[in-house]
Amino acid sequence: MIEFSLQIGTRIIRAILPELKKFFVVSPEFEDYTQVFPDQDDVDFNEAWIEGLANDAKSDRSALARFLESPRLQYGRVEVKEEDIDDLLRGITELRFTIRKTSLKNFDDSVLECGMDNLNLKDESVRIGYFGYLLLAEVQEKIICEIA
Amino acid sequence: MSSLKECSIQALPSLDEKTKTEEDLSVPWKVIVLNDPVNLMSYVVMVFRKVFGYNENKATKHMMEVHQLGKSVLWTGQREEAECYAYQLQRWRLQTILEKDD
Repeated sequence: MIEFSLQIGTRIIRAILPELKKFFVVSPEFEDYTQVFPDQDDVDFNEAWIEGLANDAKSDRSALARFLESPRLQYGRVEVKEEDIDDLLRGITELRFTIRKTSLKNFDDSVLECGMDNLNLKDESVRIGYFGYLLLAEVQEKIICEIA
Repeated sequence: MSSLKECSIQALPSLDEKTKTEEDLSVPWKVIVLNDPVNLMSYVVMVFRKVFGYNENKATKHMMEVHQLGKSVLWTGQREEAECYAYQLQRWRLQTILEKDD
């Protein structure tokens, strides 16, 4: 088990958590698939490939659901079982892709990388999406530090 | 640490052998990772280390290539192994393509 505390304040975490769960509900099981052979249009191969990835991603989604439902998360504490680490890291990535393509879809990558000073956070859905995006990044960073 | 040996054959899509021409099997294939706007640098380095067994320096070098140049060739070799690596990388949600090494 790895455990750590988040830097983001608990007041913000409590505001974001319900929204992250909404993002989770609407997020696809596996999307943004890049065709592995861009110059070949083998429909059967591509279908089998994406089906395999989608099946494998189910455990990622389960780990992410457990993380979001963790009782201590609202207090800024993260606890991850060793066997869930890889699945959770992938699940978080999937959720960040969903937020990027929904709440943050109107921002260029360069603007997003420069941080909140360049973002118009007056829109509540953008603000929540952005802080959720940051919270998930912090969780990933800290897990990676812990296992390094 | 994951490696090619651990790549689950069952997890890979079944590929009709007839689609693999002799040329496909003899020509080396490149495993190429493309830049994406979401994945963290530390995450990408970690994935390269897990999938290929690269050390920190080599994994970081490839990550910086992806970040600065938009793509990096991570590995070159036989098609079946290349497919296996590409599958693992896509499993980690890195945008990955395979190209013939002409």
